[in-house]
Amino acid sequence: MLGRIRQLFWKIATLFRSESWLLKKVRHEAQALKDELEGTLTDKAVELLLYAMDVAFLLLANYRRNLRGFTGSYVLRTADNKVAASALFANQKMSVRREAIASPTVTVTFKTAQALRRFLSAKEPDILDSLLANDVEVEGNLNYVYKFCFMARDLTRRLGIS
Amino acid sequence: MPPITLSDLSLERHVLSPRVEALRKAYFRAMPEVCIERASLVTEVSRELGLFRKSRISPLEKARLYRRVFERRTPVVRHRTARELGSVPFELSDRSLFAGSTTTRFKGVPLYPEFMALALWPELQTLSTREHNPYAITHEQVRVLNEDIFPFWLECNISERGRKRSVLDQATAPDEAMAIKLLDYLVFFLTSKPNCISHTIPDFSQAIDFGLRGIADRANQKGAASTDDESWDFYAAIALAMEGIVAYSQRLAAEARRLAAGASNGQERDELLALAEIHDRVPERPARSFREGLTTVWMCWVAAHLENSNVGLSLGRLDQVLYPLYAKDVADGDLTIDDAIELLCCLWLKIGDHVPTVPSAGEQLFGGTGSNQAITVGGVDKDGNDAVNDLTYIMLRATELLKLRDPNLNARYYPGVNPPAYLWRLCDVNLKTKATPALHNDQAVIAALMAKGETIEQARDYGIVGCVEPTSSGRAYGHSGSILMNLISALEMALFNSEHRHTGLGVLISKRTGDPRVCETFEEFQAAFALQIAWLVEQATTLNNLYGRIHQEFYPTPILSALFEGPMDKGKDLIQGGATINSSGVGVIGFADVVDSLAAIERVVFVEKSMTFADLLTALQADFVGFEALRLRLRNEERTPKYGNEDAAANAIAHWLAELLDRLYGSTPNYRGGHYRVGYWTMTNHAGFGRLSQATPNGRSAGQNFTSGITPVAGETPSLTKALNSVASLPSKWLANGVAFNVKYMPGGGAQMLDRFVDAVETYFAAVPGRRSGGMEIQFNVIARETFEKAMGNPDAYPDLLVRVSGYTAYFKDLNPQMQKEIIERTTYDLSTGHAVQFPTV
Repeated sequence: MLGRIRQLFWKIATLFRSESWLLKKVRHEAQALKDELEGTLTDKAVELLLYAMDVAFLLLANYRRNLRGFTGSYVLRTADNKVAASALFANQKMSVRREAIASPTVTVTFKTAQALRRFLSAKEPDILDSLLANDVEVEGNLNYVYKFCFMARDLTRRLGIS
Repeated sequence: MPPITLSDLSLERHVLSPRVEALRKAYFRAMPEVCIERASLVTEVSRELGLFRKSRISPLEKARLYRRVFERRTPVVRHRTARELGSVPFELSDRSLFAGSTTTRFKGVPLYPEFMALALWPELQTLSTREHNPYAITHEQVRVLNEDIFPFWLECNISERGRKRSVLDQATAPDEAMAIKLLDYLVFFLTSKPNCISHTIPDFSQAIDFGLRGIADRANQKGAASTDDESWDFYAAIALAMEGIVAYSQRLAAEARRLAAGASNGQERDELLALAEIHDRVPERPARSFREGLTTVWMCWVAAHLENSNVGLSLGRLDQVLYPLYAKDVADGDLTIDDAIELLCCLWLKIGDHVPTVPSAGEQLFGGTGSNQAITVGGVDKDGNDAVNDLTYIMLRATELLKLRDPNLNARYYPGVNPPAYLWRLCDVNLKTKATPALHNDQAVIAALMAKGETIEQARDYGIVGCVEPTSSGRAYGHSGSILMNLISALEMALFNSEHRHTGLGVLISKRTGDPRVCETFEEFQAAFALQIAWLVEQATTLNNLYGRIHQEFYPTPILSALFEGPMDKGKDLIQGGATINSSGVGVIGFADVVDSLAAIERVVFVEKSMTFADLLTALQADFVGFEALRLRLRNEERTPKYGNEDAAANAIAHWLAELLDRLYGSTPNYRGGHYRVGYWTMTNHAGFGRLSQATPNGRSAGQNFTSGITPVAGETPSLTKALNSVASLPSKWLANGVAFNVKYMPGGGAQMLDRFVDAVETYFAAVPGRRSGGMEIQFNVIARETFEKAMGNPDAYPDLLVRVSGYTAYFKDLNPQMQKEIIERTTYDLSTGHAVQFPTV
């Protein structure tokens, strides 16, 4: 519920504020993400990343170009299912769910919470590095993971938290 | 046997021309730049033709694609700028004697989105600043790739098609899904088909002798006479593909004329007009001169790389193919040695004008690799006569002068047939370049290929593909790098009853072969290990055959098929089995470490009984922490048998293992009607797989490099002669996909160094009928440890420090730190004593 209210706030804010102001606000949210990653609550980190992505799509026209013509769905989870979130992309929009959806395009399972943290806090998150380190299993179309990693890195670069 | 007319085989007084000096300087200054033209045009035309959404693509549909791409691609005659590290542009003076370019860049990174280009997607924005081997890329290129090109291929590159097929086949072929899962773990094997097939040698003689118009005419005649749709489609594809290449060449001619009209001086204008005249004629029509012959080869090469990934396509025996034109020009007084060297140098630089696409994570496994385009010189002709000619020595000199990693020069030598002076010169070039060419023993290689069913004429006409793989030139479609198998993983699963420490003990991977702790004899354990190998072979070949079928449906290769013996007669594309010889090649990694591990288990657990298997496993799981005395004992070649010391126990295991792998793979059919062949060359995978693998019974600690190629483990073979003899004792009939035997010498040694160098090669190559076939291949690094250490500390001061990795040549500065360490720690021999030099580890 809180998440929906915040999204509504941001949608209204886009109508009245400059992109630079909004970017500053998103950066503030992103700092919260960074603090989260440095803390112990990894279960929130995935959701925060997806939330930040969602907000960025709302606010940043250039970033929104990543959604053009793109349809796909992701589940990011840990092997013990303590962390699970889903991202759905369709019709130039993104939606985030706090649980694993059925039949996603791709499921990325991090074998431990530490593996998830390593991925999210990496200077440049790279799924191939995670595969090499045996940190993850990918079920589904790996190409979609490549795209997701581009969007995640693009976001962190824009927000200055990489 | 052509006469040697050169008075000085070293051609010492012939040096680089100013033209080539300038190009070489620019080559080493330039960083690779991403070129999106190929990806963009292939995507654009695929959309237009509705390709890759279809359930199958025919050769004619592919030929239509390429025809349009040839019409649209930029005809680059002169490069004006390049970029150096930091993506800083600089101007260059490009007066190459060849026009055309693999990409639009001076040193380009061509992208193949049908294959593995999408693996670069995550790092597009940081490609130009990544730590290892950055590629320059512009913001606009990032945008186009991210928004336009890559999304098109999300569902239809080879990798994803293979995965989807394995899901569809799950009920009927459950092994495919398992094999893909094993691939994802990265520690069992790699398969290269999602990235390429390539890895072959075209037959340029058809294009040189008859022109592409001649090939097209023959295809049209065959098509008119064909009685089935499939062969008609194929012949029409050949004709259309040849037209495309001709059209591209003619566009180069037009561009050369346009540039000539605006040239600032007469010499430049004349050179451009000469280029235009050449491209008016070739490759459409037969070549009449050495330069026209080289241009034909170059045009076919550019075309082959439009169609096939730049991984392991190789040029074959150019000294044989081009010798008649060379000799004619020299006899007519139209060509001097300096002219020939200049032409070859310009061509070599053109051949090296691109690098393969390697994502950051891939740098850990393949770091520093070029495109591995091998050229082969020397050896014997199809009748078994000495084939070394003047052009052989000229190509050696060009290679010596340029010191490029690509093309990768390989030299064939037939003891007793090729002249001793030739071997002397080959060793001389190795001493001067410190790393090239690799040397291949014709006697052993020809025997190996004949053991696989090739005729003696076919076998005698072998060239080297990629790293070191022998392949009958222009007639064998062998995908010599189809599988890279980590042999240590099979040992791991035998040690831990089908579980693997990398994927986690408790997770069953293969079929149970029993707890080794209850083995009563070494043979029991050996049998369990053999079962694990057999299982892994089955998984790897299942996967390769799956991807092979995907290639058959979606990736016919009409351009390459046109330049090959077989497809024209059979009326079928190479991918459908059109070649005269069809096989698939495997590179096995970890041979020496496995042999030594097995020998250690046999000696320590079963012969001396100085420890139980349980204790050994405990030590391995602890990574020898708390077991240092055991680790040293296992590493000590005086107490534990080691491959490379002519030890009977280790030799027996090495022979057993090589025969087993050859039998298992050799009896497995591939998807083209051929079988698999085994080789022992590792590129940099011995470092990559080593990083992923835990401690092994030969005393190796977790994460440490494996040993390269078929080379004995570093630091454990003090005698050069014993090392040479041990490797040479392996029958070549079991090694048909080639070996890389990496030998490192201390430089210096005075005037006698070269004589000793030659002696060592002759010792290694020597065959004893009925007892040993002689060593197949040997390659060298002749660089002091201090030089390597300085280069690690200051890589910019050593931009052209060439090394032999395990097959290909690379620049030391481009290798990742783990690979650099591996090369430094290789056993170094002092040729004056024949003994290993003791050095501390890095």
